[in-house]
Amino acid sequence: MDDFLQNNGFLIVTMVQQALLAMSLYYPLMSGQLSLASPGFYALGGYVAAIIGTIEYFAPWRDALGWSIFPLEWLAAGIISGVLAVLVGIPALRLRGIYLALATIAFVEILRVICLNLEITGGAIGIFGVPQLFESRWSYIWTFGPLLILMLFFSYRIDRSRVGRAFKAIREDELAADAMGINPTRYKVLAFVIGAVLAGVVGAMSAPFLNTWNARQGTFDASIAYLAYVLIGGSRSMWGPLLGGTLLAALPEVLRPLKDSRLIINGVVLVFASIYMPQGIAGAVGRIRNFTVRKFGSARSEK
Amino acid sequence: MRDKFIPHLSSFFVWRRLSNMTTAEFIQNVLNGISIGSVYAIFALGYTLVFSILGIINFAHGAVFTLGAYFTYTLAVGQFGINGLLSGLNLDLQVPFAMALLIGAVLAGLVGVLLERLAFKPLRTRGADSLLALVSSLGVALVIVNAIQYLVGAEIYTFPSGVYGNIKPAMMFEVAGHTVVIRTVQVIIFAVCMVILTILGYVISFTRLGKALQAVAENTTTASLLGISVDRIILVTFFMSGFLGGLAGTLVGTSFGIAGPYFGVTYGLKGLAVIVLGGLGSIPGAVLGGIVIGLAEAFVPPDYSAYKEAVAFAFLFIVLLVRPQGLLGRSHIQKV
Repeated sequence: MDDFLQNNGFLIVTMVQQALLAMSLYYPLMSGQLSLASPGFYALGGYVAAIIGTIEYFAPWRDALGWSIFPLEWLAAGIISGVLAVLVGIPALRLRGIYLALATIAFVEILRVICLNLEITGGAIGIFGVPQLFESRWSYIWTFGPLLILMLFFSYRIDRSRVGRAFKAIREDELAADAMGINPTRYKVLAFVIGAVLAGVVGAMSAPFLNTWNARQGTFDASIAYLAYVLIGGSRSMWGPLLGGTLLAALPEVLRPLKDSRLIINGVVLVFASIYMPQGIAGAVGRIRNFTVRKFGSARSEK
Repeated sequence: MRDKFIPHLSSFFVWRRLSNMTTAEFIQNVLNGISIGSVYAIFALGYTLVFSILGIINFAHGAVFTLGAYFTYTLAVGQFGINGLLSGLNLDLQVPFAMALLIGAVLAGLVGVLLERLAFKPLRTRGADSLLALVSSLGVALVIVNAIQYLVGAEIYTFPSGVYGNIKPAMMFEVAGHTVVIRTVQVIIFAVCMVILTILGYVISFTRLGKALQAVAENTTTASLLGISVDRIILVTFFMSGFLGGLAGTLVGTSFGIAGPYFGVTYGLKGLAVIVLGGLGSIPGAVLGGIVIGLAEAFVPPDYSAYKEAVAFAFLFIVLLVRPQGLLGRSHIQKV
C-alpha cells in the first residue's frame, strides 16, 4: 500500500486537484453562466503563493511564520482572486448569454500575456524552487483532500439554501427569476466569485505541490479541459465535476498506449459526450437510478 | 527630425503626437494595421455569419482557419517535414497559388459543412442547451488540431517567397525624409480581402440566397413558413463561414508562415474580440471591428510589442463596459 501511494501519489493528488478545478467551474454553471476563467484564477493563485514563497521581500515573514505561511498564501490568493473576480464579473454579468464566456476568455489571455512579460512572475521562464509544504507528493492529499471534502459539504449546503435556489432559478429562466425579486446580476457575480476564489486557492496549493510555476498554467487549453470535466461529469449535481475531474485527469494515463492520437480521442469524447450524454455521467447515473426507483418502487421521493 | 505634417484634429493624430511618431511611421502603421485588419475582418465574418443564423459561436472556426492554411500549403507546396505520419512526403502538386488558395478555402468550407452536420445539427434537432454546441465545437477543434499534428507534426511550414509569382517582395516610398515599406504580401492580402468582402456584400444584399439568409437570421420559423429551406441556408452559411476562415488562414500563412497546428488558436480567440467589438451578429460590425483591432495592434509602440497579443482582449473588455451591443450592433430588448 505504501509503495502504491509512493508510485501513484502524484496522479492521485492531481485527480483530486482537477476535481477541485472542475468544481470552480461548476458554481457559475449552477446559475447558468459559462465561465472559462478558472485557469486564470488558478494561475494567479499559484503566482501569489510562488511569489510569497520565493522573493526576498517576504523572507522575514517566512522565517517568522514557518509552515504557517502556507495557509496565509491560500488566504491571500483567495482574497486577490475574489476581488479580481468582482471586477471582471460585474461588467460581463450585467449581460445575458455568451458574454461571460467571451469576457473570461479575454481575461485568461490578458493575464497570460501580462505574466509572460512581468519580472516578478519570472517572465516566460516562470518561478522555480517554490518551497515545499511536504516531502512526498502523496502527502499533499492532506491539503487538497480536506479542501475537496469542504467544498463538497459547501455544495451540499448551498444546494439547499436560499442562494442555491436563486442560482437554479436564474439558470432555468433569468427573466422569471428577476420578476420574482431575485437580483440576477448579484447572484451571478456571487456564483462567479465563489468559483474564482476556489480556483485561486487551488492554485496557491498547487504551486508548492508542483514546485514551479509559469504562464502555461493558465491557458485557453486548460479552460477547455475544465469545461470538459464538468460537462462530461455532469453539470447538474456536485458529483458531476467530482467524477469528471477525477476520471478525465486519469484518462491520459489510461490512454497512454495510444500516444499521439490520444488528444484526437479526447476531442471525439467531447463531441460524443455533448451529443449523447447532455447531462453527463452523473446525469446518466441519475437516470438509471430514477428508472430503477420507478420500476421497483421506493418510499423516498427525490426533490 | 520630427516633421509637422498633418498637425490637426482627430484623436488619432493627438495620439500620434503623444507617442512622438513621425509621419512615415504613422503611415507605415496604418498600412500594416489595415492589411492585418482586413484578414481579421474576413475571418471574423465567419463567426458572425453562423452567429447571426444560429445564435451560437462556432469554436472550431480557429481550427478551420488553420486547416485552410494547411490545405493550401499541401496543394501549392506539398512538402512535409520530419514529424508526423506523413513525414518526408513530397506531393509536389505544384498547383498555381491562386488556384490552391481557392481550392484550400473551398475545402475548408466543406469542413465547415461537415462540422455543422456532426457537431451542431444533432444538438439543434434535439433543442439542446446552446452551451453544449460550444463544447461539441470545441471538441471538433481539438480533433482537427491534433489530427494535423498527428499527420504533419508541429513544425513550422512557410510558403516559398515566390508564391505570388515573379513580383518584387516589397515597395518603398519616402514620406518627409523617412522610408515607408509596403510588403507585396500585405497589398495582396488587402486586395483579396476587399474582393471577397465585395462579393459577400453583393451576395447578401442583392441575391435571392442572401435575402433568404437575412430572413433566416431574422426569424427561423417565419422564414421556413415563407418556403425557405432553413436547413439548406444553414449549410450554405457554414460553407461560407469555413471558406472565409480557410481563406484567412492561408493569407496569414503566406505573410507570417504556418506556425504549427495551434497557430489558429490565437486568431480564433482574437476573432471573438473582433465580433464583440463590432456587435455580435452584425456583418458590417465584424469588418469595422477587424480593421479597428488591426490598426490598434499596429500602433502598439515597439517597446510594448510583447503586449500586442492582449490588445484585442483589452478592447473586448472596454466594449463590454461601455457599449455591450458593440460598435454597430443592435441592443436587444428582452421580450417575455
